[in-house]
Amino acid sequence: MEKNGNISGRVWRLGNHVNTDLLHPPSWFSLDEEKMKNGLRVGMERLERKDVPGDSRDELVIIVAGENFGCGSSRETSVRALFAIGVKAIVAQSFARIFYRSLVNRGIAPLVCRELHDRITDGELIRIIMDNQCIVLNNREQIPFDPFDPHIKKILACGGLIPYLKNECESET
Amino acid sequence: MGKGLSGAIIEQHADGKKEGEFLRVSVDFVLLHDPLLALLLPELKELGRSILDKTKLLVTVDHFAPPSTIERANIVKQVLTFVEEEQIPNCLVYQGICHQLLAEGDWVHPGMLVLGTDSHTTTAGALGCLATGMGSTDILYTLVTGKTWLLLPKAVHVDLSGTLPPYIMGKDIILELLEGAGESGFLYQAVEFYDRDSAVPMDDRFSICNMAVEGGAKNGLFFPDEVTRTYIRERGGQREPWFQFPEKEPAYDNKIKMDLSRLNPKVALPHSPANVCDVEDAKGEEIDQVFIGSCTGGRLRDLKVAAGILRNRKVAKGIRLLIVPASQDIYRNAIEKGYIQDILNAGGTILNPSCGLCGGIDKGILAAGETCISTSNRNFQGRMGDPASRVYLASPLTAAATALRGTITDPREVL
Repeated sequence: MEKNGNISGRVWRLGNHVNTDLLHPPSWFSLDEEKMKNGLRVGMERLERKDVPGDSRDELVIIVAGENFGCGSSRETSVRALFAIGVKAIVAQSFARIFYRSLVNRGIAPLVCRELHDRITDGELIRIIMDNQCIVLNNREQIPFDPFDPHIKKILACGGLIPYLKNECESET
Repeated sequence: MGKGLSGAIIEQHADGKKEGEFLRVSVDFVLLHDPLLALLLPELKELGRSILDKTKLLVTVDHFAPPSTIERANIVKQVLTFVEEEQIPNCLVYQGICHQLLAEGDWVHPGMLVLGTDSHTTTAGALGCLATGMGSTDILYTLVTGKTWLLLPKAVHVDLSGTLPPYIMGKDIILELLEGAGESGFLYQAVEFYDRDSAVPMDDRFSICNMAVEGGAKNGLFFPDEVTRTYIRERGGQREPWFQFPEKEPAYDNKIKMDLSRLNPKVALPHSPANVCDVEDAKGEEIDQVFIGSCTGGRLRDLKVAAGILRNRKVAKGIRLLIVPASQDIYRNAIEKGYIQDILNAGGTILNPSCGLCGGIDKGILAAGETCISTSNRNFQGRMGDPASRVYLASPLTAAATALRGTITDPREVL
């Protein structure tokens, strides 16, 4: 992540309706971060991703998914595991409701973009320019993403819902 | 935009603060269960803030109930210690599945705004309230502030008419809807059921609202009627004045009509609750395990109809029939009414009320290559066991009929 909030990373391309049971199988529910991360590795294997990185990798991962990403269970361990391996942004054609909220709450930017999914291949490098609301492809082409609602933008700027809550408390007392 | 009755409930709970399209609203009640409460405890402690109103929440231990590993025992211990230290008045341990327990108490009434740590919190919408699930961090925010931030949803009106045939249950109704909508057809929407002939029993309404989330919905809701009123009155909760509908007729983005008398028994094929066809079209599929239970198939009516089919008959050779009543109260009732005896005599195995099988938590885990027909709400790949297992979702009637034959069977053939 760069200082201005822009994010560069390598694309993990996933399909439509990837549910949280697949992404992070229920038996890997744990309060232990290492076990949470292992759950994600198992999920990725099931999604037929062979190159599941550890958190030691230098470059960031940007997930690019199709429709209804993160449907199913509210178990936030899936989102926390993504955060733990260093995911800072996810681009999808649409997000499931609870998953979208949880991403924002844990400080991961969910970007809605209809176009990118069909135009990107797995492993490509992309760059997200927050201020310009666009995603820059390797060939310098720019693809816009939908603007964030001001409330969502504010939580993300705080770094998640808990820091947002702390700010809110301070400003209201 | 037609935001329906759900939108009106949100507006009634708004405290005047708005950011973008989000309204800050007061929350009337919060439902919590062991793993997803445990997940928020470290940050709650670190925050150093107390819970705003401890009377407005129900804590249940239903997932790790009782715990089957050391790690889970430690999670449950954390939850119980928290409940004791904070003196949370409403805590139910091993008494059943949170969504059923919430509905068995006198906590929820029409018009309320209810949140839960579980995605199937939508179940409570059967009582005419707005009930929706959120992640643990969202719930942490609500515990300390009494509030949350919500968007006004687009609403879908589902007009149910006609009588419910004896071979059709709530599960068939919601599967029929999901067949039409797909896995994201109701994304962010409020799905509101108007049961014009009061034909759908409360137990079935719970299953329907529970699974509205399988189409992506924010919530499912039944318009409060005599069925609702009777149910709440029987639980000693008759609140007066009774729910006041908003003066302005709710508006809708989409309207769906469904004639209950024309429905066929439905089944969801692996690996999606929206991958639906008529039972007739999946007939003959060989099954290893039948699961009748969960927060969409373990209620008293579910056990009653299953027992009705299994009475004086035997489960097919090689079939494992597992029954999990949704609560201790249901279990006790099912014993008194003889349903449990009928199921035992037929060869069924009864497990204690908990989430268990449905989430692949413990007991009845499926092996590679095995096929299960389940009355639960999700059949995602690997949820109930090995990723190479397969799960069909169906009503307790269809599941019981299937247990008799060993292959997927239309309940009309055995009723």
